[in-house]
Amino acid sequence: MSEFVKVAKVADMPDPGKLTLEVEDSVVVLFRVDGRFYCIDDVCTHDGGPLGEGQLHDHAIACPRHGAKFDIRTGRPLTMPATVPTLVHEVKVEGEDVYVRINEA
Amino acid sequence: MFGKMDWPGRRDEEWIRTDIRLFKLDKFSLPAAREAAAAAPSSVLSEGVELAGVSVSLDSWPSSNRLDRRWAEQGVLLGSLDQLVVEHGERLRPFLQRRIVNPYYDKFACLHTACWSGGHVLYVPRGVVVDQPVHMLSAMSDGRVDFGHVLVILEDGAEATVLTETAGFGETDGGLHCGATEIIVGRGANLRFVNLQDWGQGVWHFAHQRAVVGRDASLQWTVAALGSRLAKVNQHVGLMGEGASCQVNGVLFTEGKQHLTYHTLQHHEAPHCHSDFLYKAALQDRSRTVWRGMIKVDPGAQKTDGYQRNDNLLLSDHARADSIPGLEIEADDVRCTHGSTSGKVDDELVFYAMSRGFTRREAVRMIVSGFFQQIFDRITIESVRDALGHAIAARVREYN
Repeated sequence: MSEFVKVAKVADMPDPGKLTLEVEDSVVVLFRVDGRFYCIDDVCTHDGGPLGEGQLHDHAIACPRHGAKFDIRTGRPLTMPATVPTLVHEVKVEGEDVYVRINEA
Repeated sequence: MFGKMDWPGRRDEEWIRTDIRLFKLDKFSLPAAREAAAAAPSSVLSEGVELAGVSVSLDSWPSSNRLDRRWAEQGVLLGSLDQLVVEHGERLRPFLQRRIVNPYYDKFACLHTACWSGGHVLYVPRGVVVDQPVHMLSAMSDGRVDFGHVLVILEDGAEATVLTETAGFGETDGGLHCGATEIIVGRGANLRFVNLQDWGQGVWHFAHQRAVVGRDASLQWTVAALGSRLAKVNQHVGLMGEGASCQVNGVLFTEGKQHLTYHTLQHHEAPHCHSDFLYKAALQDRSRTVWRGMIKVDPGAQKTDGYQRNDNLLLSDHARADSIPGLEIEADDVRCTHGSTSGKVDDELVFYAMSRGFTRREAVRMIVSGFFQQIFDRITIESVRDALGHAIAARVREYN
């Protein structure tokens, strides 16, 4: 199982906001919404699109390529054309730092 | 040119499904002279085969080579491209100057052109029939690079069988391969070319491969890809002389988080040519393949007969195969067809096999073998058929 990796400072993340990161062997997107942090793969399961470049509305991120939306809390697809969830990674905040642990499922 | 060119972007159609953001060129160094000669990994393809000769490179440096006197006396050349361009420059220069692979196609092609070293060359003079296979092995140690350039030249009426193999030492080894393969099949010549890519699963593999086939010549090209972390291969066959034919057989097996991308182009430049591309991929775990094939027919290439097909077998719910066949036809009297299938293992087949006493794993293995059988039947070299069959069967995991 992979370890938590320090990825950002709490103060550096706007709310709402998103940040694309390279963590170990994955490219992920870190979100901050209503004071809480979430992290999912930077991969739209429809066409492999970069979710980090999409628009964030509440807890939904829209893929810039074809508009598929995903719930950033669960990774679940909310609209077509995506039908399969994207991977969710564990996040924790300790003091001023945000940590991510890559889901190796 | 390398400095002027950008890295492929995520919006480039050719790279839209292949993410190389985690590839960091500065983690690698140019091939350095080896401190001591190390043994190359053992060959898979040539086991039990009587060879006309071998050429071996290690970490992009010539390691060893041998050619039977019988063939050397007939003018055949085999060995490291590094060495043979010095010893036989006059002979090889015209072929290298043809730039079969476009050195400016993309940044990886530029990188290869600027930095190539090692690699192999086979030259078969006019009318010489080499009736024993030639073996070329490019090996790479963990974390190193391979910028090998492979050049195969068959003059008019010549015949040869070439087994090429790229291999690492450990299953999880990393590294960078940025290579090119150039194949010239002269008028009436006949080449069987086999390539097994079996790097460790941490290797970045970028390759440009192009063959040009002359009048009434034939090429059978078998590609097997099992290794690497991410592979992006452009395979291009140019049918340049009237009556040329080529058959391409592709076998891909992926696991873990491997990502293999193949872009194939069968380019009909002359009339009465025949091409037949068949790629089959089996995927397990979270691996992914992308196959994008194109049949291009030039305005003068009447009576073309072109076929392309890609079949994918998904062994897990998380694997993904993208298949994008395409046609670009500018002649009006041709027969060009294509097909693509993607599916999972049929539970009823597994149930039937298990009811006859097989375990689930044995059942899946049989189904995978059956899936590839169509390609194995087309491979006429027994050692290659056996090596691929065993390598794939050993990789199939247990699924519930």
